[in-house]
Amino acid sequence: MSDLAQLQQHFMALLQGTSDKLADHITEQGELNTNQRLSIYQNAYKIRLRAVIEQDHEQLGRYLGDDLFELMVEGYLQTFPSKFTSLRNFCDQLPQFLSTTEPFIQHPILAEIATFERMLLTAFDAMDAAHLRVEALESIAPENWPSLQLVLQPSVQLVCFNTNAVESWQALKEQQSPPEPQHQSSKCWVIARDLQRRTQYVYVDQQEFRLLSLIKNQTPFAQLCQSCLNELEPSLIAGFLIEKINSWLERGWLKQF
Amino acid sequence: MKEQFLGFGLGLRAPHLEQIITEKPAVDWFEVISENYFVAGGKPWYYLNKIRENYPVVMHGVSMSIGSTNALNIDYLKSLKETIARVEPQWVSDHLCFTQVGDINSHDLLPMPYTQESLEHLASRIHQVQAYLGTEMIFENVSSYLTYKESQMTEWDFLAALHHKTGCRYLMDVNNVYVSARNHQFDAMTYLNAIPKKAIAQIHLAGHQDFGSHIIDTHDEDVSPPVWDLFTRYAQQLGPVSTMIERDDNIGTLEALIKELDQARELVQPFWQGMAKNE
Ligand SMILES: [Fe+2]
Repeated sequence: MSDLAQLQQHFMALLQGTSDKLADHITEQGELNTNQRLSIYQNAYKIRLRAVIEQDHEQLGRYLGDDLFELMVEGYLQTFPSKFTSLRNFCDQLPQFLSTTEPFIQHPILAEIATFERMLLTAFDAMDAAHLRVEALESIAPENWPSLQLVLQPSVQLVCFNTNAVESWQALKEQQSPPEPQHQSSKCWVIARDLQRRTQYVYVDQQEFRLLSLIKNQTPFAQLCQSCLNELEPSLIAGFLIEKINSWLERGWLKQF
Repeated sequence: MKEQFLGFGLGLRAPHLEQIITEKPAVDWFEVISENYFVAGGKPWYYLNKIRENYPVVMHGVSMSIGSTNALNIDYLKSLKETIARVEPQWVSDHLCFTQVGDINSHDLLPMPYTQESLEHLASRIHQVQAYLGTEMIFENVSSYLTYKESQMTEWDFLAALHHKTGCRYLMDVNNVYVSARNHQFDAMTYLNAIPKKAIAQIHLAGHQDFGSHIIDTHDEDVSPPVWDLFTRYAQQLGPVSTMIERDDNIGTLEALIKELDQARELVQPFWQGMAKNE
């Protein structure tokens, strides 16, 4: 290994807390000793990454409180040092960390709050695409409707949570104390940008969630209708779906095809 | 790429975006952090595209890790190249340092040892990166808190040698020079004077925190009086070079940053008026 490569490895080992061999490379000079010089870098490394977690996961941080937040930061930095060139992705594995690591694993709401916050970020900077317009739908000939495949906007994300993660996130966002953590039957959400590029999250019932999931899986309109047969009179289904589609258009969830 | 004199600019920061679009303040140009635009769309690109309609923009990266002994990160360079094509910046910069080791990114600008090996390594990497991107880049000096035993020359001799070897030009962060000068007890003007004037393509001014025994380059304060002084003395000799205020934390109001920018303008305009652009 070249001298330069070895020095760089020693520097990274110092930041990761696995070795202080870097000290052997440092000249004694001035008022600071070598340990003080090295700890400037160690501190800067942690402070910068902690700030990213704090910024991306503000409400999770509040939910945890100072001590647990610090514990999470320490553990996350150890387990998932950044493999990314952009800090935007640094916390991508935070939900995974929280759902697999003690003591966080004991509180499933934590991973769900983290997931929700990551989805808000994803919706914020997902790709732009032209919105589907009602005129485009009106121009589709009746015989082409059964095979029609609607397309979701790239910012649209579908998720179901088994805890009151979103309700807790919302309370914290409004500077209120969160409700007691609860396990509840699955509650589904759409997280997406609206027509004004604002990030929104919207509660959807199981039926609407199923329809949007089918669309995401490129299911033709005829099969969307079929999926409603257990819930609605056949004669009502097409009208019901048109109404739904119109509401999705207004929310900016559909992409021009 | 020949960098033209763009005047006096600011680093573009999220809290000021709306205001810049609606008020079109008297800022000559903006610098954006390259990696912030490695995202597909949404508000980041919406705002940047609006701002590009009214201002020249330059790109400033923090993760190229040009000094790293790792293989060049082609995924990174690909994203950078795509972003350059979308932003169409006046020029592109990053730092003379390493950030990545193995597959881990420190997200910190770690200093190189000033050795012959480093010099040759950087020279060859700069050529490779520029060839891949199809454009010249400019490189910023980083501040540092330690000196390696391995170093065979001063930082300023190193920068001068790298310029002679590659023709690469520099984004001179005057605050970083001041910070390192205090931390390593050298004379900041000696450093600045050692770099050929024609090698200076851009200037950063920023704030730091002074702990007496040492200074930490925090970029979260106003530019300090000794840095203004150093900048003023340097600017007299340098001639017009695009200059900007770089605030990364504790960002404050746009008005406060513009006030600092006006201060930079007033300090150097007596010298720069009528002086030929530094080429
Ligand atoms: Fe800088």
